[in-house]
Amino acid sequence: MYTGGNLRIGPFEIFHSIAQSFEKPRQNGGQHFPGKLFVVEGIDGSGKSTQLSLLHKWLESKGYGVVFSTWNSSPLVKDTTKLGKKKKMLTPATFSLIHATDFADRIERSILPLLKAGAVVLCDRYIYTAFARDVARGMDSQWVRELYDFAMRPTVAFYFRVPLETAIGRLVTARDGFKFYEAGLDLGLADDPTESFRLFQGRILQEYEKMIPEFGLTVIDATLPVEVQQAQVRQIAKAHLDRARELRVRP
Amino acid sequence: MRQTYGKHLPGMKLSDLSGKLIVVEGTDCAGRTTQINLLKTWLEEQGHAVLDTGMTRSPLAGEGIRRAKEGNNLGRVTQSLFYATDFVDRLENEIVPALCAGFVVLTDRYIYSLMARAIVRGMDAAWIRSIYSTALVPDAVIYLRISVDDLIPRVIFSRGFDYWESGMDVFPGQDMYESFRSYQTALLAEFDRLSAEYHFETVDASADVKTVFAEMQRKILRIVESDSRKEFLAKRPEHVSESPLVRAEETFAAMPRDWARKDLEALLSSAAAAYASNGDGRNVA
Repeated sequence: MYTGGNLRIGPFEIFHSIAQSFEKPRQNGGQHFPGKLFVVEGIDGSGKSTQLSLLHKWLESKGYGVVFSTWNSSPLVKDTTKLGKKKKMLTPATFSLIHATDFADRIERSILPLLKAGAVVLCDRYIYTAFARDVARGMDSQWVRELYDFAMRPTVAFYFRVPLETAIGRLVTARDGFKFYEAGLDLGLADDPTESFRLFQGRILQEYEKMIPEFGLTVIDATLPVEVQQAQVRQIAKAHLDRARELRVRP
Repeated sequence: MRQTYGKHLPGMKLSDLSGKLIVVEGTDCAGRTTQINLLKTWLEEQGHAVLDTGMTRSPLAGEGIRRAKEGNNLGRVTQSLFYATDFVDRLENEIVPALCAGFVVLTDRYIYSLMARAIVRGMDAAWIRSIYSTALVPDAVIYLRISVDDLIPRVIFSRGFDYWESGMDVFPGQDMYESFRSYQTALLAEFDRLSAEYHFETVDASADVKTVFAEMQRKILRIVESDSRKEFLAKRPEHVSESPLVRAEETFAAMPRDWARKDLEALLSSAAAAYASNGDGRNVA
């Protein structure tokens, strides 16, 4: 059934969908689920994964049913992403789309049903990573935001804020060399990987800063000692879990 | 100048895209592939360099989509985005370089099929349109329209009902025949809506191959002949080859992006082979 109302966005008219009874992806944002979704965000070397794994251990010790989901891990999609990265076939647009595809699969098959079932879901990187990276690669920021319109809003999005130099210092000592896309070498900002990484991550950092007010990201000062950050994270998480006791697996 | 449906992809220079983009749309078994093969041969005989492309043929995502469809666990949002990845990969690496080199691009389905399939699967129409707002506006969309009743015998006597083309993921409770009817009816309704919005040129696909082909030739001639290229060729001294290949090579040399250049190399060598077999005399229209 055609519902009539047309909406003008940009140069073309939007017609409402025929099938009103179907589930709409963009409704996920407004839905309330019994589960809780905690996500961590920040540039490489901000220490977010360390903090998330500490939160994970703590939640498990408290008896919560916790599930962990990382960026780029969909079994249906990750081989395609790997192929694109290995052969350097990805442009900013296909880089953006293949990551959105991976994310969609994780949302549809894992995150959404788990939240409906009342689990605590932890995500290492979420849509904000895509917004930051894709816009830093030159994609239109509104286009990328609409692309991820099917994602549900997290209970808390922790943003681990760290100055660029601190992050680079941590990474240079921790591993040997940067990967092609991670350093933004596809953009031709600089020939030297470390310099390219610095420029690219600098752009990403700017995008994160813009998103703090836009999405109400919870900022954690990632220059503080690990223990202090974790205490803050646990305190914030606890405030949301206190109101959701039914999530516990065991008392 | 060529336009997109609202958003520009980074690095794409629309003013360089001098070729012609012709879309052939229609449901499964409407005869798209047959017609495109005929059109390609015919256009090449006329001296046009032709690229044909179609859904899930991208080197990036084609194989991934095929694998994902083998299982029973490809979700609706994931499916829509996987197809979008495949489309944009071909847009950037095949369609744009070919248009840049002055080719006639024949594409077997375009964003309209992808939008119709996503919308029938319950995706938000505004959402899917937003994703494809980066697509190029084609020079023509030829829609091979066929009713479900005419379609069914063709499907049965070609390869039979297929899980996805029957929309079994959309109507899981029905048998394949019922599901096929429901799904194709919904798709046709969506195509009709898109047809008005995007100005499709409808061809009755229930007619025989020759009649449909003649109709398509008529529509396509208008596009390739209105080309200013003809004027340009007329002004050129005779010793200069009229072959679009010359144009292609000039454009090729001026191309800014490595990825585009790489794909164009392959295109050019295949076009060169086609011209060699046709003979130079055939290039003059």
